[in-house]
Amino acid sequence: MKRRNGCLTAGLLLTGFMVLVILAGFFRTPYDPAAMATGPKFDAPSLEHLLGTDGFGRDIFSRVLQGAGNTLSIALATVAAGAVCGTAAGAVTGYFGGWVDRVLTRLNDALTAFPSILLALVIISIVGPGKKYNVVLALGLAFIPGYARIARTAFASLREANYVKSAQLMGASHWRILWVHILPNTLPVLLPALTIGFNNAVLAEASMSYLSIGVTPPDASLGYMLSEAQSMLTVAPWYALGAGGAIILLVFGVGLIGAGLQSRDKGVV
Amino acid sequence: MKYAARRLLTLLVTMLLVSLLAFVAFDLISGDPAEIMLGTQATPERLAALRAEMGLDRPLPVRYLDWLGGFFTGDLGMSYQYKQPVWELIAPKVAVTLCLSGVSFLLIVGVSIPLGLLTAGRSGGRWEGLRTAFNQLCMAVPAFFTGMLLSWIFGVALKWFTAGSFPGLGEDLWGSLRYLFFAAVAIAIPRIAMTVRMLRGTVGEEMGKDYVRTAISRGNDRSAVLRRHVLKNSIVPVVAFLAQTLAEILASGVVVEQVFAIPGLGRLLVASIYNRDYPVVQAIVVILAFWVVLSGTLADLIQQRIDPRLRLGGDGE
Repeated sequence: MKRRNGCLTAGLLLTGFMVLVILAGFFRTPYDPAAMATGPKFDAPSLEHLLGTDGFGRDIFSRVLQGAGNTLSIALATVAAGAVCGTAAGAVTGYFGGWVDRVLTRLNDALTAFPSILLALVIISIVGPGKKYNVVLALGLAFIPGYARIARTAFASLREANYVKSAQLMGASHWRILWVHILPNTLPVLLPALTIGFNNAVLAEASMSYLSIGVTPPDASLGYMLSEAQSMLTVAPWYALGAGGAIILLVFGVGLIGAGLQSRDKGVV
Repeated sequence: MKYAARRLLTLLVTMLLVSLLAFVAFDLISGDPAEIMLGTQATPERLAALRAEMGLDRPLPVRYLDWLGGFFTGDLGMSYQYKQPVWELIAPKVAVTLCLSGVSFLLIVGVSIPLGLLTAGRSGGRWEGLRTAFNQLCMAVPAFFTGMLLSWIFGVALKWFTAGSFPGLGEDLWGSLRYLFFAAVAIAIPRIAMTVRMLRGTVGEEMGKDYVRTAISRGNDRSAVLRRHVLKNSIVPVVAFLAQTLAEILASGVVVEQVFAIPGLGRLLVASIYNRDYPVVQAIVVILAFWVVLSGTLADLIQQRIDPRLRLGGDGE
């Protein structure tokens, strides 16, 4: 029976919309995000200022666009770094096995017991807080163990598969077997993990920036904006709602995609 | 018993490793504490004197053992920022963070388990998509954003508690718990969504098995089957998930403490990272790590009490 996958469709639409708007923001924002007094202070949302203005009269919509652009690029870089290194490590150890695998798995199990944001906090305190590239570094490193664990399980379970054995008999190199034969078959597990990883990266970056140890001015960040907005909640609630809403929509959309992917794969099995 | 002993040994080894890592990492980056305390203008003689006084002239292994011993004697060195013994700084905060974590954990368990069991095994239907979407939405809201809204609605608008002034556990226990409750709600919401999702997955899968269908077809009602058979068979992954929850609570607590201005470990950790106050960061990191590893070990021990098969297999591939 073919069922409509509502979650996947809705997620793709929402994420597509958010990404388009954010991409547009890289080229053009309605106002200069840093320009002050583009309108009255604490102006409520209107057609001129879609999300109103903050205490300096800066246009919040433009600032949210810029912040979301940073958040998106950081999350993508983090996911890319974490997923590539994690998958590579997990794939190799899971495929070859042996004592190296056992030791590394044990170590990795201990690491994955720690919430990735705690790991990222520790790493950022070592590499130095408050810089954009350090945030990517800290989050990327913190996310490696999780991917490695998922990839290892997936690759180890396929190590004995018949198609792997026949490829080995036909003389295919390990390298080819790993990436051409096994990898595509692990995608049903790895892809949802990517969406979850992306969301964790967005939330972790926002949290760290909210705590002023992530992305800090002059770089724009949704998390830092929220920490500013907190003190203005009574006078300008749209500031917090705008910045928070952007995070929520971004994470919600990708989360829907992840849930949709998972339910689709369950349907196939 | 043998299993428990081995598990405790692993716990000990892990803790030693974590503390060694934390010590070496922070020792390498933090530079010379004596220089940080005295500033760059200090004379070499004063620096040398302070180093000797702080015991910095000794080799690394000796200092590590000394520092490790500090966890038992309560001497973890001095904070650079507050010029106060680290232990005195941390001790009162541990209780606050424990309370916050406890309230959050009770909330998560109290709400998500009944909710998860009630809705498990009743998947499909036309509300399924909406339910998944709502679940994803709850996970998408950052805990600190919920926290901001809660403190705005209940603290500023409704005045159910005074946002920003934590009464203190010693002075007003009831008021403190009420204050912590709102922070706990912020921490709990995304985690409740995750737990319900996990429960629906594991319990739902178990409900689909043949023995359940047999039991129901023999005239047992659904809740009795759920209580008597299904729960027992699906509880093991749930215990592991709850242990992970304890760790996650700690992580989001770090941020939420900041939102509500709760004087806990997380808030001190963030301030110390910001100020590069390494002795404090080092100590808190080890305490948090201990908490995480301990909850994992407890979960393992509970699991093997529930499921004897785990005792035989032990580590199991």
